[in-house]
Amino acid sequence: MEEHGKPGQGIGARVKRKEDSRHLHGRGQYVSDMVIPGQLEVAFLRSPIAHGRIRAIQKPAGSEGAVFVRADMPEAKSIISTSSIPSYRVSAQPPLAEGKVRFVGEAMAMCVAKTRAEAEDLAERIVLDIEELPPLVESMAALREKNVRVHEEWEDNVFVTLSVDNDFDRLSKQATVVVKREVELSRQAMVPMEGKAVVAHWDERTDQLVMYYSTQTPHVVRTGIAQFLGLSEGQVRIIAPDVGGGFGYKVIVHPEELSVAWLAWKFRKPFRWIEDRREHLVSGANARQHKYQLTGYADDKGRLLALDAEITIDGGAYSNWPFTIGLEPGQAIGNLPGPYDFRGYRCTTRCVATNKPGFMPYRGVARTGVCFAMELLMEGIARAVDRDPYDVRMDNLVRPEQMPYDNVMKKHYDSGDYPQALTTAREKLGIEAWRARQEKGEADGRKIGIGFASYCEQSAHGTSVFASWGLPLVPGFDQAAVKMTPDGGLEVRVGIHSHGQGMETTLAQMAHEILGIDVSRIHVTHGDTGTTPYSTGTYASRSIVMAGGATANACRELVPRIVKIGAHLLGCKESEARFEKGVGVIAPDGKQMSLKSICEAWYLRPDKAPLDVDRRGLECSVSYKPERDSGAFSYASHAVAVAVDTDTGQVEILDYVIVEDCGTVVNPMVVEGQTIGGIAQGIGTAMYEEIEYDVNGQPNASTLADYTLPGPTEVPHMRIFHMETPSPYTEFGIKGMGEGGAIAPPAAIFNAVNDALRSTGVEVNRTPLTPHRLLEAIERARSGTLPKREAA
Amino acid sequence: MSMQAINMTINGEKIQALVEPRTHLGDFLRDNQRLTGTHLGCEHGVCGACTVLIEGVPSRACIAYAVACDGQQVRTIEGFEEDEVMAQLRTAFSRFHALQCGFCTPGMLISARDVVLRCPTADAHEVRVQMSGNLCRCTGYQGIINAIVSVIESRRAANADRVEPVATAARAPLPSFQAVANQASAAASVAPATASPTAAAATPSDTANKKPGTRIEDAFEVDHPIDVVWEAFADMPKVAACLPGAEITEHTPTSIKGKISTKFGPMRAAFVGSAALERNAATHAGSIRGAGTDSLSNSRARGDITYALSDAGNGRTRVAVAIEYSLQGPLAQFSRGGLVKEFVKKMVADFAANLNARLGAGSSASGAPGEAVAAPAGAAPMSPMDAAGVFWRWMVSTIKSWF
Amino acid sequence: MKAAAFEYQKPTELSAVVSALRASNGEAKLFGGGQSLGPMLNLRLARPKKILDVSTLPALKVIEDLGTAWRIGGGVTHAMLEDRVLVGCEPLAQVARGIAYRAIRNRGTVGGSLAHADPAADWPLTMPALGATIVIAGVSGERRVAAESFMTAAFGTALAEDEIIAAVEVPKISADARWGYWKFCRKTGEFPEASAAVLLDPQRKVARVWIGALNGAPQSLNALAVDIAQRGFLAISDLSVSQALEPVLGKIDAAQRRLHQTAVRRAVQLATA
Repeated sequence: MEEHGKPGQGIGARVKRKEDSRHLHGRGQYVSDMVIPGQLEVAFLRSPIAHGRIRAIQKPAGSEGAVFVRADMPEAKSIISTSSIPSYRVSAQPPLAEGKVRFVGEAMAMCVAKTRAEAEDLAERIVLDIEELPPLVESMAALREKNVRVHEEWEDNVFVTLSVDNDFDRLSKQATVVVKREVELSRQAMVPMEGKAVVAHWDERTDQLVMYYSTQTPHVVRTGIAQFLGLSEGQVRIIAPDVGGGFGYKVIVHPEELSVAWLAWKFRKPFRWIEDRREHLVSGANARQHKYQLTGYADDKGRLLALDAEITIDGGAYSNWPFTIGLEPGQAIGNLPGPYDFRGYRCTTRCVATNKPGFMPYRGVARTGVCFAMELLMEGIARAVDRDPYDVRMDNLVRPEQMPYDNVMKKHYDSGDYPQALTTAREKLGIEAWRARQEKGEADGRKIGIGFASYCEQSAHGTSVFASWGLPLVPGFDQAAVKMTPDGGLEVRVGIHSHGQGMETTLAQMAHEILGIDVSRIHVTHGDTGTTPYSTGTYASRSIVMAGGATANACRELVPRIVKIGAHLLGCKESEARFEKGVGVIAPDGKQMSLKSICEAWYLRPDKAPLDVDRRGLECSVSYKPERDSGAFSYASHAVAVAVDTDTGQVEILDYVIVEDCGTVVNPMVVEGQTIGGIAQGIGTAMYEEIEYDVNGQPNASTLADYTLPGPTEVPHMRIFHMETPSPYTEFGIKGMGEGGAIAPPAAIFNAVNDALRSTGVEVNRTPLTPHRLLEAIERARSGTLPKREAA
Repeated sequence: MSMQAINMTINGEKIQALVEPRTHLGDFLRDNQRLTGTHLGCEHGVCGACTVLIEGVPSRACIAYAVACDGQQVRTIEGFEEDEVMAQLRTAFSRFHALQCGFCTPGMLISARDVVLRCPTADAHEVRVQMSGNLCRCTGYQGIINAIVSVIESRRAANADRVEPVATAARAPLPSFQAVANQASAAASVAPATASPTAAAATPSDTANKKPGTRIEDAFEVDHPIDVVWEAFADMPKVAACLPGAEITEHTPTSIKGKISTKFGPMRAAFVGSAALERNAATHAGSIRGAGTDSLSNSRARGDITYALSDAGNGRTRVAVAIEYSLQGPLAQFSRGGLVKEFVKKMVADFAANLNARLGAGSSASGAPGEAVAAPAGAAPMSPMDAAGVFWRWMVSTIKSWF
Repeated sequence: MKAAAFEYQKPTELSAVVSALRASNGEAKLFGGGQSLGPMLNLRLARPKKILDVSTLPALKVIEDLGTAWRIGGGVTHAMLEDRVLVGCEPLAQVARGIAYRAIRNRGTVGGSLAHADPAADWPLTMPALGATIVIAGVSGERRVAAESFMTAAFGTALAEDEIIAAVEVPKISADARWGYWKFCRKTGEFPEASAAVLLDPQRKVARVWIGALNGAPQSLNALAVDIAQRGFLAISDLSVSQALEPVLGKIDAAQRRLHQTAVRRAVQLATA
């Protein structure tokens, strides 16, 4: 496949990553690599049961000063996340369980020792006395439950209810075809390779609580830690060094992190806690679990007129800070309409409290679920009207001439050609050849299926959108601070965090695009509240648009200041000199003054600088947000060919094609890496990853031998094709795209499997599609006990 | 905490250290030797992030113990600065964007180097298979596979002596033959295990695990009239003692306190707790309802054993036994619940056999071994007992002593 | 996730291992390659007082040609068998290659895997199918147990607490013997959800079909094997396999039943093709 990319080092170039070298030599610096002299290790004792009242936590004899429970730490407040959503109910999550335990894995006590092993030894000796309460394990049951509540002070178990009705009655009545589908996604953990990690100490010299903290959002975390410990923000410094993957897991303040912060503040000593994999899987099972009941109202060509939806989200026990549990239902109800053009919409979304870990925003927040639901419905509509699903999708997708398009939820789709992406995906997959192969049948008896999914992804959505979700903390302008160095290089400081996205490289590319400085001489610093300007951080596919836009604008602001010094050095008028990328300043006679000389004049030889030099110097901090902050919508179509073995239930992905458009591409290599990596996670959602809970609320996966992550043989080789429709609202027309890959795979893969099994009557609708689950469906079909699907 | 002295050669350098035997090599390298390039991603041998070379071959540092590497050679990601293959891989990893967050990268590179050297003709598919023990959450593997394949290909191009795959000859057709039935292999000094006919009593909902505990039932007949059997059952502590691994510390007519020690392969747990005993003479039925905690793991088990006697005619009595159990806490948090159920089932079968023996039926075989079923039930405790039969032997001697 | 404290000892002779086992009164645990025990130690599921490390014991590392059989030391790693094709025991290399991942195979041992007796593991299925004999060392010397009766239950074996697997003797198969081995893993390297091994050796009149990945020990499908010897793949129908499996599987759901049937069919197919 031809490599997509422009020459040079600027926007569109396939620049190799600046961050690679340290990782390739084992010199990355993660939190767990940090050592502060005198550091003590922390282990948590976690609740063995899902729901219970704590009668006593008996500390081991002789453990004074080494074992802590909630009552020992009155200075630490419970984590409370407020929201302006009217139906939202507040939950207080104590740093260590207080009064009740609400999920298996909730931290109950904190043990401190010289080694982690000894801290775990201490934890084993604690005796728990817990009165078991009936656990609320399943969201529908929790919704119906009258007597048992996760939070006693509530009148039921509903965190949030959101409803919308836009012209539903009128438009649904015009339909001649009514199609129902129910889909369900299982509970997942995000599983970054590095879990949560924190080293906290009190820096006596700066009189600050300094925390090395594995987070995507250092500035936000600082606000949270300060707030929950009652410190001023100036007393807290958060350093997020190399972070071993985030995916949303690291955008919030977790109770364990707050507890360790309290230890360091209280005892003025260094403490380290590294979340281990069992802790992650048991207490971090916090994503994806949605149920959808959809009814599509279409005309007899399959043109969707109205959609009716009931969405139930299993929210777990607590609302996180600062994103709140409201984010998930807000995204679900808002994004369900997807890339489709229809005008009647009625939806109720309930987020229900259960005795499981509290929901957190995992890559693709809610959109993996809504895409799964919507794309299975589209397939159902096509079946109902007996048309090719491709044709039905083409008739329903928002058309390029409708752009910018305000959809039924008033989402403002800024630009793009959605049908073209689908058409290209179909063509690149080689639909004719696959249909022929499907027709002919495989020698080994496997069944071939082809599936598609399309989505659009609201990226870099800003103040207005987040405010509408009621969050206690809303992103505004992002800032970048740029500073020329005396030798003509550039330092860029940003408040976002890069943990795999390659922004040390792509932000340098954006600066290079303006100033022409070699990327190797542009140094990007991030991840330290002590040295970087404020940003709410890296999440929601926003950083390249926000921090990139700020970086470009900051660089631009330096240009006239550079020109002024350059003109003076060249002895020409400022108005006659011009800035030339990669060169410096050029006089009308063609004489050049290098950036190095200009910087030298400002920093080292001010005697050479003009008297009226711009006193703000060769550094500045500039804030940025897009002209319109309703989001730049990336989009893609995925096309998949699978082979289904009906004797084992195994699904093999034979080909996977992506056609994506994230506006102007900064670095195609990075875009491809983010897309393919996201798809691997989406394949995990579709086929492998799941934590099941038994009736007592016990999770059945506490190791990676139980929780199946896709490995090299489970993820196929993918073929990716780019479209580039710039956003009209962002710097350079860039759109964010970090989450998109994880959105479409379940939809595309399930559609392909259902296509393969069409003749058998099997239609699968619940992730993950384990071989056992698929084989069960096939066996039910074989024995003739398949439930008849309701059709109208 | 006893420390042991070890010598090791790490990246060519001889070191000496004192270690606690339980310290795994990964922690030793990182915390003791300050070689932090070896990352810990799961600490149970699955993710591959901690892969290092021990005695020259890729190994998981998290499940090797430093003390066991005494006298051995260890090489970590920091020890490949002069290595030609590693240099090629590093260049290729960057070129093909084979890393994002970088956490899996050191282990990935060490495995990749082994694949390049060990599988010089591997194609992309083979490289995927060979790399399947290293997990990456960021890249989707494509860059990693492309990078490794590119190194293999460039080395193959550089090496003239390219290895051709050996063609496999077509096989002759298989003749039909009269196999000797039941060919046991060489002298066995123990009797073959009875095939466990009640194996795998999973129900369709088994994997879904959506049930209030697990229920297992068994029934057998004994050669005594119902009144005699009912009388025998009155000695509740002894009946309870038919539970493999049970130790009773105190008892009244309606309750017992004690411990059930269990052993399942290398796993052990000791559930300390109490049980309530009930008897209903009118219906000839009784129950033992107990709960206990394994204090070290903070796991809890609950179990209800119920039995009911009925007249089977000809002076015989049918004894129906059912157990409902559930396990909570760390010991419950694994996906292979079928194994635990199998284990508990054997426990019930032994319980039934013990009761039978206790009542003088004379045979250790339960009357209806095929009847074991698993069905949704309500509560439960109990845990694994010794599958290898230690408790069984103990139990037999205990029961013999009753008569 | 750190192991509970244990004592560590590395005996240099097999006799010392056995006497240390006896002296420990059931409180010691043998450490072969540690690839199953290590995770259980770290998770604190296993908490022996003492670890007896036999991973480098020379007496257990021997691979010896006995003429009609190969004697494979209990401490031989999966990788050693993967890398060296033993004439007459070619299936061993093939099975070894499919165990977990290379880093695991470099340390995991044949004896350790058999003694651990995970129902889904490869050697507890392969060894009985090949008619192997387990050579067990104890204080009173060696005893021999047929592989088919060695594993008694999930994680249960014929080993006493003071015994160790010294070696496995695997009889050589004839040059024209056929071996079929098929397992179904959700993911490369994971424990299988179904597995079956088939040996058809006309010259020695041996036919064996074994099924693994049950909740208990692997089981023999003897009658089916005899039938296959006579009729080849024709003996394999949905009905015949299902009947053969009936007493072995008990009550399981239709999907699991189908998967086990498929394992048997495909292993037979591989052997008879």
